[in-house]
Amino acid sequence: MHKFRLSPYLFTAPAVLLFSFTILLPIVMTFFFSFYDWNGFGTMKFIGFDNYVRAFHDHIYLLSYWHILIYIILTIFLEVFAGLFLAGLITVKLKGTSLFRVAFFTPVMLPMLVTSFMWRFVYNSDFGLLNAVLKFLHLDSWTNVWLGNPHTALYALCIVSGWSYAGFYMTIFYAGIQRIPNDIYESAYLDGATERDIFFKIKIPMIKNLVEVALTLCILGGFQGFDLFYVMTNGGPYNATEIVTTYLVKVVFTNGSIGYGSALAVVMTLVVVGVGVVLNMLKRNGNETLEY
Amino acid sequence: MEMSMRKSSNSAAFRLFYYVFMSVFSLVYFYPMIWMLFSSFRGNSEIFNKPFSLPAKVDFHNWSKAWQIGKMSTYVMNSVIVTSLTVVFILLFASLASFAFSKLKFKGSKLMLLMFVFGLFMPMQSFFIAQNYIFDHLHIKNTYWALILPYVGMGLPLAIFLLKAYLDSIPKEMMEAANIDGCGNLRLFWSIIMPLLIPSLATVAIFSSLNSWNELLLALLYVQSDSLKTIPVGLLAFSSKHVTDYKLLFSALTIITIPMILIYIFFHKHIVSGLTEGSLK
Amino acid sequence: MKKAIIGLAVLSSVAALTTGCGSSNSNENAASGNTASTNAGATNGSDEKFTIRLADGSPGDEVLSVWNKVKDMYEKAHPNVTVEFVLQDPQLYQTMGLPSLLNGENAPDIYFEWAGDRLKTRVHDGFAADLTSYLEQDGLKGKFSEGNFVGMVYDNKKYMIPTDSQVTNVIWYNKKIFSKVGITQPPTTWDEFMADCEKLKAANYIPITTGNKDLWTAGNWNAHLISRVVGEQAYADAMELKSPFNTPEFAKAMSYMKQLWDNKYINDSVNGINDDEGAALFFNERAAMYPSGGWFVSGAKDKAPDMEYDYFNLPTMPDGKGDQGSVIGVLEGYVVNKNSKHIGAAVDYLKVLESPEVVTMLSQAGSSMIAPGSEPETDPTILKLKDMMDNTKSVVSPPDTGYNLEVADALNSATAEVLGGVSTPEQALAKLDAKVAPLKK
Repeated sequence: MHKFRLSPYLFTAPAVLLFSFTILLPIVMTFFFSFYDWNGFGTMKFIGFDNYVRAFHDHIYLLSYWHILIYIILTIFLEVFAGLFLAGLITVKLKGTSLFRVAFFTPVMLPMLVTSFMWRFVYNSDFGLLNAVLKFLHLDSWTNVWLGNPHTALYALCIVSGWSYAGFYMTIFYAGIQRIPNDIYESAYLDGATERDIFFKIKIPMIKNLVEVALTLCILGGFQGFDLFYVMTNGGPYNATEIVTTYLVKVVFTNGSIGYGSALAVVMTLVVVGVGVVLNMLKRNGNETLEY
Repeated sequence: MEMSMRKSSNSAAFRLFYYVFMSVFSLVYFYPMIWMLFSSFRGNSEIFNKPFSLPAKVDFHNWSKAWQIGKMSTYVMNSVIVTSLTVVFILLFASLASFAFSKLKFKGSKLMLLMFVFGLFMPMQSFFIAQNYIFDHLHIKNTYWALILPYVGMGLPLAIFLLKAYLDSIPKEMMEAANIDGCGNLRLFWSIIMPLLIPSLATVAIFSSLNSWNELLLALLYVQSDSLKTIPVGLLAFSSKHVTDYKLLFSALTIITIPMILIYIFFHKHIVSGLTEGSLK
Repeated sequence: MKKAIIGLAVLSSVAALTTGCGSSNSNENAASGNTASTNAGATNGSDEKFTIRLADGSPGDEVLSVWNKVKDMYEKAHPNVTVEFVLQDPQLYQTMGLPSLLNGENAPDIYFEWAGDRLKTRVHDGFAADLTSYLEQDGLKGKFSEGNFVGMVYDNKKYMIPTDSQVTNVIWYNKKIFSKVGITQPPTTWDEFMADCEKLKAANYIPITTGNKDLWTAGNWNAHLISRVVGEQAYADAMELKSPFNTPEFAKAMSYMKQLWDNKYINDSVNGINDDEGAALFFNERAAMYPSGGWFVSGAKDKAPDMEYDYFNLPTMPDGKGDQGSVIGVLEGYVVNKNSKHIGAAVDYLKVLESPEVVTMLSQAGSSMIAPGSEPETDPTILKLKDMMDNTKSVVSPPDTGYNLEVADALNSATAEVLGGVSTPEQALAKLDAKVAPLKK
């Protein structure tokens, strides 16, 4: 095995070099940029930690983390738990469930951009589907400018996110439930268990690992959301749906503050790494105590 | 035997309730897409005034207009070029690297793997500012490479871990036997590893292509020339120009959506496993 | 002409439109030789092939087709020169787009810019050539009056060739709806304006529609209103961060926006939809008034050719400290890059653009110009707008073309919050002051 000492490096070189060049190097450079007052082309003025001080006093920036927190918590319910619920429904031992599975999965296939535009129309206050349905049901007083009202916009976005991804998590859980040996069900049915019992006492405990993975994905993925927010509200109204990523794009590409934007990006990177590490530790602890 | 069991546990009332509930629920779930399809056949005033009615006639005129005005064929072609090159590079680089990580011992492999772990969950906003700067200075902005390079970079970590996990499950003896036969690592890779990897490569190809097909932010930042735009950016440009021509927008959205749904229907097994394994690694 | 002060939702869309350059070197290119003065001697008069790049925000299709004609005309006369348009999405162009083009390789030789603070920055950064002597040459001389150069002259040097003076906000109204509800005269005072809104609301129309998702629409309008209430100088001082925003005068000015929301005189979707969607409510006659700029005329030609409309300037504000006849607007034009190797050729190109026949073609495409055309302008609305701009004593600069973009954005956000009923004027102004505090250096 050790005849070709150089070869492992040759095998890994393309991937490592490309990854370093496109991802790692820019992360390091962003870190350096963050100490300068710089608009991207003029002179770079070293200002130490000023950008970071400004970031921690930037009301909108701090608010954007709060919005992400709300978004993550809600999408845990609307994506992961809803996906779990759907997975339970489509694995009921009846015929024809695969048709429903297709229906719930289809939104996953739509590009997020298409989903966002489509739902922007659904929420449109003048001709949108939602207000039209409410009017049809004579619930006129419930109609709303869903994306223009700061009290509803963020929730409206979370629902779209749920609509789009619940089917994805459903499919993950479905794959797990399919692997549960059939005789476990059979004995449960023989004992007279209802579908409800089976869902809570067999299906969920058996795929606990998958649920943990899904939660990790949902939480870390929450920080990466951009397309949905950008197309539907671009942070508005009144920054009510501003998240870190949309704000970052504005600071860098609308205001031209590369230095300040870099500081915001570095803070976000640290937060994401921190959350990732914490989640990893939680998972490890959990697995040690609850192994089965 | 199994049939009789189902009957015994799920009563007729339960079944009725289940089917009715699921049908209504999935229809509601599906309805926005149906509404989008219907609206693409309507006129603008119809969209405003009769949101529920069936379209007066199924008229593909809006579609062809959107296709032409929206320069969809250009965007589709660009997306195909960018996505296919991205996938080829990811498959090649990731399988080479995962082979080394899984089967060859060498110094620094742990560190390199750690680096790729980092890459698994970095949002692109952590690096796009400086990446933009670098690409600007190397004059690769406004070329296909400005998209392919970062897409490959972002896709590599997941691909490597997935392929490595698969290779780890292949017994070492198989390779050692080959080694004794005097196979060099490269021969080993091509003649033994690659054929074994093919099913996993399909999985990697699926999620890599979906990711690069749908990517918006970098495409928005790095490509300015209309003739190089990919579908998401092209659609965005189109929508900002025709923001109130709703019938055209609905048509454009529908045109983009239908192939995705068809692909899903034909390849759903592969896609589902590609997506789920891709995220579960 | 420019819809470029406008922010569309998209970040970028540069279309580099290049076609092949002239094939034969005819003797016509000698014509450009006589314009060479400062550093153009190296290129003009020789057969050397080169390219002139012109950067601008992308115009509508009709204007673009005129530009392409101008390009053809010029290239025919100068077979050794290729003209290349570098067109970006207007919002990108206005913010990061132009600076990065100027600093990049293949920097444009000619670029669109707004007079005033922005041009001053370009002059300061060394991106604007002194055009004073060129403006005395045939083809440019006598086309402009001194008033057309406001905000283009620094140290007695002219740095811009004007194209248009653009009114950025008046209130457009639907004549039919007005007469239907019994409004015979457009309002001249704020109280009349409010009374008219009440009538329109009672008749089930949306009195005013604005799509303010991108903030500049209502922001532009309110900046004008603010300058009328607090005075032009006080507005400019605050925008330049020389004095705070949160003062009783500003709060009073902002309270008029609150009045619109509280009385439901504005579409409730105001901050949820963008400018075009807001305009759609006006074009499909659900709303009676639509505050917008002079570019509305070309948009209306496209989208509602049969509509009967007119405009009135912002009504006079009660006890306003500013000039109650002021107009909000901006002068626009082209700048020649000081670093260009082909300054003479670039000016030659602009001479073609300012020639009477091109001016007329452009105005027929809905893009009006200051320079005289081969046929007199006939569109009564455009004439009326020109007249208003020429006769006002005070021209107020819009926040996003006259001042720092971050300050403009902060003011526009404050306007949106008050107009959308989520903040009181005082709250919004306090937040605004906090937001711009780090910008004071």
